[in-house]
Amino acid sequence: MGEMFRRVVVIGYGKATGNILKYIEEQKTVYGYSLEFIEHESHALSVTKKICGEMGIPYANMPDKQELAGYLCDIREKTLIVSASNNFLFPAACVEKENITIINFHNALLPEYPGRNAPSWVIYMGEKETGITWHYVTAGIDEGNIIIQKKCAIGLEDKAFELTERLMDLACEGFEESFAAVMEERVETKPQKFAPGRRMYRSYEVPGEGVFELSDEPEAIYRLLRSVDYGKSAIFPPLRTVVDGVQAEVVRYRKIIPEKKKDEENAVYLPLGENHLLKIKYRHVI
Amino acid sequence: MEEKVLEILEEYCEEALTYDGDSMMEDGIIDSFTVINIVSELEEEFDIEIDAKYVVAENFKNKEAIIALVERLLEE
Repeated sequence: MGEMFRRVVVIGYGKATGNILKYIEEQKTVYGYSLEFIEHESHALSVTKKICGEMGIPYANMPDKQELAGYLCDIREKTLIVSASNNFLFPAACVEKENITIINFHNALLPEYPGRNAPSWVIYMGEKETGITWHYVTAGIDEGNIIIQKKCAIGLEDKAFELTERLMDLACEGFEESFAAVMEERVETKPQKFAPGRRMYRSYEVPGEGVFELSDEPEAIYRLLRSVDYGKSAIFPPLRTVVDGVQAEVVRYRKIIPEKKKDEENAVYLPLGENHLLKIKYRHVI
Repeated sequence: MEEKVLEILEEYCEEALTYDGDSMMEDGIIDSFTVINIVSELEEEFDIEIDAKYVVAENFKNKEAIIALVERLLEE
């Protein structure tokens, strides 16, 4: 075995990052590295800073991309960077450094659904199964060799945030299973096989281009609504449709039984299957 | 109103009913995904809109804070 990783840097946000941080901290005694956490994107409900405080993990907030890139490129020790739920794209100068190895968690089964918001796209496309991929980071987006993959089913009622949560749990499982092999550099990686014309999903792309018609199949509308549902996180703009000839945006939606139907302003009800209604609450937009 | 809020909390996070601290998020009682569900239920139940600016740890620090948030929004 060659030189061991002397330093581990975690970048990311959310539940998976918090759990991964805890796990890496616990493994410090086995491998003797130093550990630090960098928060590049802050979220209102994030608790990673608190976890760092409790566990004595050095914490830095680095929202500026150039500052972060410069910081990482200046690392001199042999270092493992763990990118978990992280949207920062590592510059080539950093990826190509011999003393740096970067692994990333992608929330789909690569090589399918590379890029952003994969849980949304798999729901929108009506996939039955998805999963997570830990892979080595190369200069191309989500192109590196695969370390581990784990699969899960997509439920007929799954919303994007619910699927995201399950994938984060799977990511933690996959990370713990493969961490020793990554640290000891004995991972039997699997190269990705790219189909011609492989689509890269960009942050500005919205399922269904963000619009639907009330005359569309209710099941398709429901799938679209679920695919962009991250609660109050403004990952996508509100979906748009036309109600009574006027542009409207969706405020919220819900699958209900007919008995729950109420006389409410700015709400439409569409039949959903044999026993349910799809309630869509909207507001007109000028 | 209070009773309905507590019913929703019971459904998504029973622990919140007996929690007597002031930081449910940081104390691991609820996570961000549970908050999404609770917000969705509150909006539907009370026909209110809970803007993203209100979805912060302070407003979900305990059951009293959630009830106070709904009260404020109902008065608006």
